[in-house]
Amino acid sequence: MTSWILTITILSPVAGALLLMLPPYGDRASIRRSAVLYSLVTLGLTILALTRFYSIEEASDGAFVLMHELPWIVGESVEVVDMDGYLVEKPSIDISYRVGVDGISIWLVALTSFLMPLAILSSFTAIRERTREYYCLLLLLQAGLLGVFCAMDLLLFYVFFEFTLIPLFFLIGIWGGSQRRRAANKFFIYTLAGSVLLFAGIVYLSYYSYRTLGYVTLEIAELTRLGQGGYLPLDVQWWLFLAFAAGFAIKVPLFPVHTWLPLAHTEAPTAGSVILAGVLLKLGTYGFCRLSIPMFPDATFQLAPAVAVFAVIGIIYAALAAWVQSDVKKLVAYSSISHLGFCMLGLFSLKVAGVTGGVLYMINHGLSTAALFLIVGYIYERYHTRDIHEIGGLAKRMPWMAFFLIFFTLSSIGLPGLNGFVSEFLVLLATATSGQNSDGVGRGPLGYGYVIPAALGIILGATYMLWMCQRLLFGPLTEPANTPDTSAGLTADLTRREIGILVPIGLACIFLGVYPKPLLDTFESAARRNVLQSPFTYDFSDVRAPVIDIDDDHLATAVSANDLDVNGFYDSSGHGVGSIDAAQGIVRDAEIVSHASMTPALVGGGGRSRDD
Amino acid sequence: MTIEHIATALAPELILLVGACFVLMLGVTGSPPRGRWVSSASFATIVLALIAAVRVGSPEAGELLPGLWITSLTIYTRWVALSVGALIVLVNWHQPVVSERGEYMAMILLSLLGVLLTASANDLVVLFLAIELVSVPTYVLIALSRDDTRSSEAAVKYFFLGALSAAILAYGMSFLYGAAGTTTIHTFTNGIVSSNFSFGGAGQAQAMIGTMLVFGGLAFKIAAVPFHVYAADVYEGAASPVTGMLGFVPKLAGFVALCKLMSAFGWNIPPELSWMIWIVAAVTMTVGNVLALLQKNVKRMLAYSSIAHTGYMLVALLVGPVAGEGPMRDGVAAMLFYMAVYGVMNLGVFALLTAFRTGGRDVETLDDLSGIARRAPAGALALAICVFSLMGFPPTAGFIGKLYIFSGAFSTSAAHPMHDAMIALAIIGVINSAIAAAYYLRIVAAVYMRTEKDEAIPTGGMPVRWGLALCTIPLLVVFAWPAALTRSATDAVAVVQQSIFRNSEAVATTDPPSSVHTPTLRAPTTDHDDALEP
Repeated sequence: MTSWILTITILSPVAGALLLMLPPYGDRASIRRSAVLYSLVTLGLTILALTRFYSIEEASDGAFVLMHELPWIVGESVEVVDMDGYLVEKPSIDISYRVGVDGISIWLVALTSFLMPLAILSSFTAIRERTREYYCLLLLLQAGLLGVFCAMDLLLFYVFFEFTLIPLFFLIGIWGGSQRRRAANKFFIYTLAGSVLLFAGIVYLSYYSYRTLGYVTLEIAELTRLGQGGYLPLDVQWWLFLAFAAGFAIKVPLFPVHTWLPLAHTEAPTAGSVILAGVLLKLGTYGFCRLSIPMFPDATFQLAPAVAVFAVIGIIYAALAAWVQSDVKKLVAYSSISHLGFCMLGLFSLKVAGVTGGVLYMINHGLSTAALFLIVGYIYERYHTRDIHEIGGLAKRMPWMAFFLIFFTLSSIGLPGLNGFVSEFLVLLATATSGQNSDGVGRGPLGYGYVIPAALGIILGATYMLWMCQRLLFGPLTEPANTPDTSAGLTADLTRREIGILVPIGLACIFLGVYPKPLLDTFESAARRNVLQSPFTYDFSDVRAPVIDIDDDHLATAVSANDLDVNGFYDSSGHGVGSIDAAQGIVRDAEIVSHASMTPALVGGGGRSRDD
Repeated sequence: MTIEHIATALAPELILLVGACFVLMLGVTGSPPRGRWVSSASFATIVLALIAAVRVGSPEAGELLPGLWITSLTIYTRWVALSVGALIVLVNWHQPVVSERGEYMAMILLSLLGVLLTASANDLVVLFLAIELVSVPTYVLIALSRDDTRSSEAAVKYFFLGALSAAILAYGMSFLYGAAGTTTIHTFTNGIVSSNFSFGGAGQAQAMIGTMLVFGGLAFKIAAVPFHVYAADVYEGAASPVTGMLGFVPKLAGFVALCKLMSAFGWNIPPELSWMIWIVAAVTMTVGNVLALLQKNVKRMLAYSSIAHTGYMLVALLVGPVAGEGPMRDGVAAMLFYMAVYGVMNLGVFALLTAFRTGGRDVETLDDLSGIARRAPAGALALAICVFSLMGFPPTAGFIGKLYIFSGAFSTSAAHPMHDAMIALAIIGVINSAIAAAYYLRIVAAVYMRTEKDEAIPTGGMPVRWGLALCTIPLLVVFAWPAALTRSATDAVAVVQQSIFRNSEAVATTDPPSSVHTPTLRAPTTDHDDALEP
């Protein structure tokens, strides 16, 4: 079931960027018009993918669908016994371009495609030089982000994960604030320092797949089975978890490696901040959710309390830090750190509700924080300052802005009826009930001890956000001299374009607050199937069929003909691999003797003996 | 063996030799001398040699001539050296003044000839001469490349240290001859390993000293610590296009020679020597990257980066070959792959430096580069791609190269005595690549983020631009389609494996090596065993 839709969706922004780079170069207006157009094309393709996704039946069970595979780094064919005990032909190196989506990733793809046109629209007046390069880089960034969420191969995941750094490095470094170069460098090197360890982990995992399976594979589904099937020893899981966490925790960012984020946010142009907070930070949480938790289940279980402690410290610390910021953008940046702590808490509760809530939190945070950054950007464009001491009482001057700021603040602090509430509730519920076995995925490692400080974080969050609203919107009107600056065709209050950007986000917030079920359903089935430790049910039937199919008599002939000890083959006290070898040997011999094959279940007994 | 047969098999080398003589004369004869045609003639020579190399194709069954054996390693080296050589000529197209161009281009061709001969050498003496044939023309090139005292100083410095390293190399080879009783490399294995050169027999001391000295002599060519000190000064002194060549040609020759040497021992070097290479690799990449952080001059920065890349490739050398596995697990194939990629991406950066001039002098510092993005967006993009490739960043070939090298280091079998050490080395390597990002980023930042000074003027003609483009495009192509290069790199390892096979048979008849790394014995199934043991 090959489907090109995801590949086309990922490549469409690249094509857009190339078209923008090609002559004839239009003026600024035509460049930004075409940039919006290209991003809308991607949005259209994403909606198409979304409808295709919902039309496929297995998708509602959480399976990966819309798969597409192209060979990339492949070796010659070898015969191996796979984890189901089937004798299969596999490339000795199996690293491919593989994309696919499940219930979790499709919505993150949708979030990316949804925010990008808005980010481009928001740059119309703010970006006045080197516009062509700017929109190219935004589109390339989008391609990278879409790729991360669609990647079904670990190396491909890493390629996209790393690639996102390049466009954002330029976006911050060229169009950023006064300290842009320092911020760009810090952002790049900080995140790279983590992701090289992730790279080391990936490379080691490729080697480990070879040791275990007999061929190098980085297919995420295979590696997940490897981890869930107990093929990875605990110490290996620990090291790999730590290596992966080094890459993802910096991206999230988890306390105490969050220090790059406030600087990057304050220096980035508005659209950069929107994408950074809205989507890019989710690469970290998505990485934990898609890779670390399912691949290293035992290490995850043991390390989850540590991660949760850092998450809780991050929630409180970042909330307190946000409280004392006078730069509004920095305040929102710190609130991001605080909020993503909740997301991590949900994921590491290792409960279905927690993972579901955590993923929903990613989407919700993407929407409301992106909107907050947009509003801060609007203010900055008019007043050239974000200092809370220099501006105030803006509700009189900008009533529309005041409305949206309060709306998204309420969404961000989790007012029931708006989106933030649902995910916050689910996360805290799952964290509290983590120790109980209520949803069929076993007991989680967390408990009430984590909920109490986290709930304190919610109160703090409400405090500093509302305090910010109060200072910015109410009280006597305070404006720096010669402002608001309307030279770029702005009006004192929001323009229709600016309102038009915020309205879709607001509608999405209301929708998710009132009726999150369509998302929650897909999240839940995907979480059960692909994230949490559970009987793995990935359907391989279309990929590989049992090579061998004979009855027991033939097998007996084969075995006796070769003096093989059948009992030894079945003996579960024997080492699993030895059994695989024996099984392989029998299979080969069986083929020689009878030119036929045996029941896969028999071979499977050998392959699975370690689980017994 | 008929003379035609030999001539056919050695066609690329002969074409280079004839071409070099022709170009040399073309530059000085006629009135006025026809120096303008020299570059085209050199380019045509290399292209002809490349065509000949493609037509010769398959390796020879035995020694072609005493001391020369065309192996699959030769085939690969020819390919890489001549392809990158053609790019080098493109980048050097307008160097130096017309009256000296004949000598200059002839030296480039001779140096490439040296690389090709290094790859076919099967005798210590031939190997030594071939390596010197690589080096000697580079001294001339550096001196000719610029009309100022800095290049003369660099040439003299390079010459003296090069002569010293040649002496060390020759001295080491004499010890090896003493230990093995032969100078023929492929019989080393029979002569040494099975009798007194198992690094445990009577010739042990000699063999150890010999190997270490040869390694030291070659360390100079590949710019490994502690023989790296010349690199920054020489790179800075020479003109940019020559520097682009210096980063690749001697390094390729050095690594090919190291491969031959290691294969002569069947890659069964004793732990002491393994540890020596381990330490050299770790220190080389760290020193290179850390010192590069301190540089403001792009050429010095790239000199240190070149040292760091030597470190990465030494990691792969230490991993050694693994039969037919391809570069994910085969260190030598990974090294050969990386070498080709490194040559191209490094040359690309120097091609850009060649293509601009500022204030009547060459572009050298980060300041000189500032704002090139606005003046020449395509050039800046090409530079960015080359630099991100040097950084090992997707989507470029440099990323695939890093993947191969570190995956090889992680893949040493658990039974290997240096298993943990190799993993540690790989981790040192990835951390180094994060350090390296800091200075590579400064190049990109200077080009894209600094305000334009309106000083750097594009000067290079079409050939240099073509050179830059042809350096950049393969980096993206190889990323998407690494098999283009890996297949031949994997084949090239067949030759070093021949020695292993012979060697493991020899060892098996006597004593099973307990502390010895025999990669070919590592079949997937044996790994299975230790993998699933509870």
